[in-house]
Amino acid sequence: MVRKFFRKWWRLFLVAALLAAAIQFFVRPPGFFPDQGIGRIGTYLFRPVYGGIDFLRQGISSLWSGYIGLVNVSRENRELRKEVAELRENLKESRDASLENRRLEDLLRFSKTLEKRTVGARVVGHDVSPWFQGIFIDAGTGEGVEPGMAVVIPDGAVGRVHRTYPGLSEVILLTDSRFAADVIVERNRVRAVAEGMGGNLCRLKYVSPTQEVVTGDRILFSGFDGSMPKGTPLGTVVSVDRPREGLFLNIQVASAVNFLSVEEVLVVLSRPSIPFRQGKP
Amino acid sequence: MRLLLVLLALSFAGTAANVWLLSGFVPWFLLPDFSFLVIVYAGLFLSGPLGFLAALLPAFFREISISGPPGTFLLASLAVYFAAREIGRRIFLRSEIFLLLIVAGLLAAESASVILLLVLEGGHPFSVLWGAEETVRIAWTSLLGVFLFVDLSVRWQRIRE
Repeated sequence: MVRKFFRKWWRLFLVAALLAAAIQFFVRPPGFFPDQGIGRIGTYLFRPVYGGIDFLRQGISSLWSGYIGLVNVSRENRELRKEVAELRENLKESRDASLENRRLEDLLRFSKTLEKRTVGARVVGHDVSPWFQGIFIDAGTGEGVEPGMAVVIPDGAVGRVHRTYPGLSEVILLTDSRFAADVIVERNRVRAVAEGMGGNLCRLKYVSPTQEVVTGDRILFSGFDGSMPKGTPLGTVVSVDRPREGLFLNIQVASAVNFLSVEEVLVVLSRPSIPFRQGKP
Repeated sequence: MRLLLVLLALSFAGTAANVWLLSGFVPWFLLPDFSFLVIVYAGLFLSGPLGFLAALLPAFFREISISGPPGTFLLASLAVYFAAREIGRRIFLRSEIFLLLIVAGLLAAESASVILLLVLEGGHPFSVLWGAEETVRIAWTSLLGVFLFVDLSVRWQRIRE
């Protein structure tokens, strides 16, 4: 009887068992599930894709600026206009190159201001799932990147390395709900814990109503928990709500970084002092 | 074998295009989860080891491209496959509306489970706007799923005939 029942419904039992295991992995203790093998295979499968797409993007960009951009040249003054357009395109290309150079120079200068060793990386993809906010960068285990390391740009913090593979790393953005770090208000050094809340926002937790935090205050990472370099900007306070009841203020902070426009980042090659749990605050 | 290769190619190309090419400038809720659709298709229409094989690689792709805790989305995707297999064996009527309901139901169930786990862990990252966007994603992916499933089934039937 039992065997017959099990034989009939074994798939549903399997579904339940798989879901239970998935939940266990979701809430697991550190180091419970090393998945390097799966990840390595995956990156080998996807590496030609993101490498190729990066190459194609640059190619299309130069093709666009070199040829297609000239389609609207008037027939009357074709040669002249073509020349002007070419010069303009060259100028635009030079501007792009100079902007890229400036960004890279900023990164280099910024990396020198950091006391720790850093490695530069290019953003090659984004997590498109609805639940998590992350990006993929083209630096991985080969470059010394490890889970928990801070990812920054001169404007401010980007996030924290989540998983690493050869030549690729996943970075949890600081607006992801699993991100949390110790921060201070720049003006009066009030301490708080910043936690991601989706969109472009973070919330500050555990700030007493007796503390003075106002809209426009700049928030910096304190560096006490070792997760981010001390003084790295998190963002600016956009709203402070003083609840009638409750122990703490409700504070929202807009990130200093526009994550969609980030192209190059720096990974701070320093292990966090507090053990990092993949996918956990 | 040909169908298996088509499904794997669809899953790989869809995931690669979404994560490495379109992400960053196309909003996430307009990017359908092709790997999820292939897993559900394998569960509903392919029986035996072929179906499991067709679901396994897309499950790997989801595991790699979703930055959840390691292992979670591989197992959750296999659970989706077996749930779809059970639905396919017992209550599945081959009509568009049933396909739509199945895909939308499985997507909504997965989304609700992840939200529940995140909320139980203490995170509150979801707003009304996020809910609306997620509804669009589920609706859009389900509609695309119906189109793909019907198209793939008809082509597969023609090949077999």
